[in-house]
Amino acid sequence: MPGIDECLIEVMRLPGARGASVVDWTSGLALGTIGESPNGDHEATAAETAEVARMAAEQPVFAQAGPYAGSTGPPVPAVEDVIVTTAPGYHILRFVETAFDSSVFLHLWLDRAEGNLAMARIRLGEIAERLVLA
Amino acid sequence: MSPTVADRPGTPERAAPSPMLQRLAAERATGALMRDRGTLYLADGQVVHAESPATPGIDVLLTTGGALRSEGWWDAVAQAGAGQRVARYLVDSGRVPGGALELCHLGALYDAAFFALAPTHTPARFRYGVSHWIGTVRPVPVHAVQRETLRRRELLDRIWPDALTDSAPLAPTAHAADAPVPARQRHVLALVDGERTATDIARHLGRSAFHTLVDLRRLAAAGLVEAVRPAASGSASASGHGRITLPEVTNDPDVALLRRLRDALEAL
Repeated sequence: MPGIDECLIEVMRLPGARGASVVDWTSGLALGTIGESPNGDHEATAAETAEVARMAAEQPVFAQAGPYAGSTGPPVPAVEDVIVTTAPGYHILRFVETAFDSSVFLHLWLDRAEGNLAMARIRLGEIAERLVLA
Repeated sequence: MSPTVADRPGTPERAAPSPMLQRLAAERATGALMRDRGTLYLADGQVVHAESPATPGIDVLLTTGGALRSEGWWDAVAQAGAGQRVARYLVDSGRVPGGALELCHLGALYDAAFFALAPTHTPARFRYGVSHWIGTVRPVPVHAVQRETLRRRELLDRIWPDALTDSAPLAPTAHAADAPVPARQRHVLALVDGERTATDIARHLGRSAFHTLVDLRRLAAAGLVEAVRPAASGSASASGHGRITLPEVTNDPDVALLRRLRDALEAL
């Protein structure tokens, strides 16, 4: 039965993880944070990354339904994640799909030298799923 | 584990929405702070729950989206309500995953707190010792709730500086959309019918009321939604000198100021 804190601890076990948070992208509120943030202020980081997440989630070009989006069943999320690469690191914003109305994503700040982007992306997706599954 | 929002003693605090809440946090009070537009529940000086008539409750949020069947909710209330551990019961009985419950409850807490801490002239009351039957999920420090509430007010005003869409019945305009409307805003727009208010729409969608306000202010900024102003009273038209007099819809001076500001900006 993982909660927000357990998931964040798990995210920090990824090699090269420097900081992580659970953020609501409509308001820009950090619902939980762990580790460092690039500007030393998790709140400001949350507000800024939320804006990026919102832009990605709302762009019509990304909102096209994928080949697996059937006419039945729950709506398939259009955007799964956003990856931003900077000189010292990667930022992975992974959208969390919940069974109630929400706009939540997991943000992982990964060190570029120590981190493995491909692995971190897959693990973050699994953790985002487990956060809202029993 | 770091707290949800880091304490920043170096940051000068803006005016607190509720000095009384500040005092209650300092004395680590437990009880219910009842304000004009909502109630905050404190335990040991931390906010553990909040409710407001303006926002859908956690039951509405969970059942509307299908995370929980309404029988499941009522069963949990019946089984664990008296013991004030409904949230714990929902998780332990496997009805709602722990992480989902935390996300949903935190969302509902900040949502209701935003309205409960709205400026008011009615004095607040605090009832010591009262606790809520939902139980404790994830307590939030008072300063985090106050700071977030102020930040949210600023966020709304940055999007569209007219607060009337927050409370008045809303109507679609004849204006065509200049750009595609994002899906979440489309769901809100579809419910704008000339009668429903933001609170009605939030309840209908099972969506946080603040999130609905954000969507509505974006729709208002795009010229797709406008507040329905009450019909001009007879006296206004009788004394009219060939000029339409808009009735005063609110006594909040901020709104009038913001509207003048908007008109001035539009005239540029």
